[in-house]
Amino acid sequence: MPGREPPDTQVVRARLGLGARAARLLGYRELLVGMVRKELKVRYKNSVLGFAWSLLNPLLYLVVFYVAFDLILGSAIEHFEIFLLSGLLVWNLFSTGLGAATGSIVANAGIVNKVSFPREILPLASIGAALVHFALQALVLGAVLLVLRWDVAWEYVPLLPVALVALLVLTAALGVLLSAVNVYLRDTQHFLELGLLAWFWMTPVVYGFMTIGGREGAGKALFMANPVTPVVLVFQRAIYARLDTGGGSSAPRALSGEGVTAILPPWTWGEYALYLGLTFAVGLVLLAVGIAVFGRLEANFAEEL
Amino acid sequence: MGNALPADHPDPNPGPPAIEAMNVSVSYRLRLDEGTLKGAVRKLLRPRSSSDRLVPAVRDVSFTLPRGEVLAVIGRNGAGKSTLLRVIAGILAPERGCVVVRGKLNLLAPGLGFDGNLTGRENIWLGGLAAGLEPDRLRSLIDDIADFAQLGEYINYPMRTYSQGMKGRLGFAVAAHLDPEILLIDEALGGGDAAFTERSKLKMAELCGEGRTILIVTHGLTSVRTMATRAMWMHQGRVEFLGDPDEAIARYLRYCRLQNLDQMPDDL
Repeated sequence: MPGREPPDTQVVRARLGLGARAARLLGYRELLVGMVRKELKVRYKNSVLGFAWSLLNPLLYLVVFYVAFDLILGSAIEHFEIFLLSGLLVWNLFSTGLGAATGSIVANAGIVNKVSFPREILPLASIGAALVHFALQALVLGAVLLVLRWDVAWEYVPLLPVALVALLVLTAALGVLLSAVNVYLRDTQHFLELGLLAWFWMTPVVYGFMTIGGREGAGKALFMANPVTPVVLVFQRAIYARLDTGGGSSAPRALSGEGVTAILPPWTWGEYALYLGLTFAVGLVLLAVGIAVFGRLEANFAEEL
Repeated sequence: MGNALPADHPDPNPGPPAIEAMNVSVSYRLRLDEGTLKGAVRKLLRPRSSSDRLVPAVRDVSFTLPRGEVLAVIGRNGAGKSTLLRVIAGILAPERGCVVVRGKLNLLAPGLGFDGNLTGRENIWLGGLAAGLEPDRLRSLIDDIADFAQLGEYINYPMRTYSQGMKGRLGFAVAAHLDPEILLIDEALGGGDAAFTERSKLKMAELCGEGRTILIVTHGLTSVRTMATRAMWMHQGRVEFLGDPDEAIARYLRYCRLQNLDQMPDDL
């Protein structure tokens, strides 16, 4: 039987193609699940409240922003708490997922140096853990909405899973990319903290999209180019469901009415979907870049750690 | 003794060899601009820039290891033995060349452990999965591994409560149960008390006797004589000799003696 290779044959060489990389990752999916569970378990180890922190965290944010924006600065947004939470939960998924993913390879240096397994698992597991926290928070928000008998915009609800997947693609892309860069340049981790803070304020989570989106100028283009914004907008449009402080949620109408401030853009369903599509496209392109860079850099991980 | 090279033997194991290394080279890099922003950026853009000062660790190594053979790799510290092992295990990518591995492979290196906050059992689970064990098989093995490690109820305690020796036992227990077709052992890295060394020696002898393909990096020349079917002497990243174990040891020792003689005038 010369020429026939046994099924376990592996070729160790400098670089792995994209297809081989994906197939290898798929074979290790149980490890991915195990690593997500590990991340969840270790995160709140030795804290009294444990997993409750996952829910307490957005609530404390809510209190801070409510005091700062609603009570002190006098935000015109009614039901500020629903508005804030509908955007904050997705933002938190993005920022905690990306933050944990970036440090993941360095944090697991011990195992990277000893066992050969697809290293992408480490950043992906960090994002998976953030997703579990998000799901828990979203469940509680859903329950609160039910109790309040809150009117969500049902026609936008089908866009929510699409927005979630788009955000996960974007987070995974940046997480895989930055986790590899962080091995070589540990400053990445520290810089990211600051970068995420700036990014947060560039995303309409605490203030309405129309605060900046309603203006003209160069700043607006930058604001619109933020790939997290469409995801946040879709969540706000579906859950908060109010376009302006006049309570308008239906067809676009004159927004300059007395005492009425625009919050969300008066776009059609198609326009929201199209804007979201841009995030998807950006995410996929970044994912290809991220995997390519990761593949280029991972060869020297063991040497650098 | 030692005058017949394995190349002259008819191959007793038909079929493709278990490990085939082709022109494998690995260099460690010393960067003069390490720690500066410019150096860091350059490192990212060109991880393998030609302007780095290269410290070759493995130079153009080619060899084949037929199925069922026990190959011992000997040589001085820094000869590139452990680096070669890490390349074969897929932890370090070769700079040039490639390695073909046919069959499930595991590297037995001390100090397995994902997280001190996880219990021994959880660490076995993650370590086994990372080493490529099938989840179903691992589930059925996990109790055997726990028994072998003799940790008692500690197996359900976080690993940070373990002593160094307990960690070592757990790591060894996992590795010994992975049951790979190809086993890589890095003894040169190993440390541990006498009892543990004795215990692992016994286990290794047992593993070697089971018809596995084994590549072992060791400084213990006695075990090379008793266990290895062939030996490789590495020197400054190159394979100086590959063949009969006794011949390899003889040449290595001859070299060491020569080195000592050369150095003696300096010492005086």
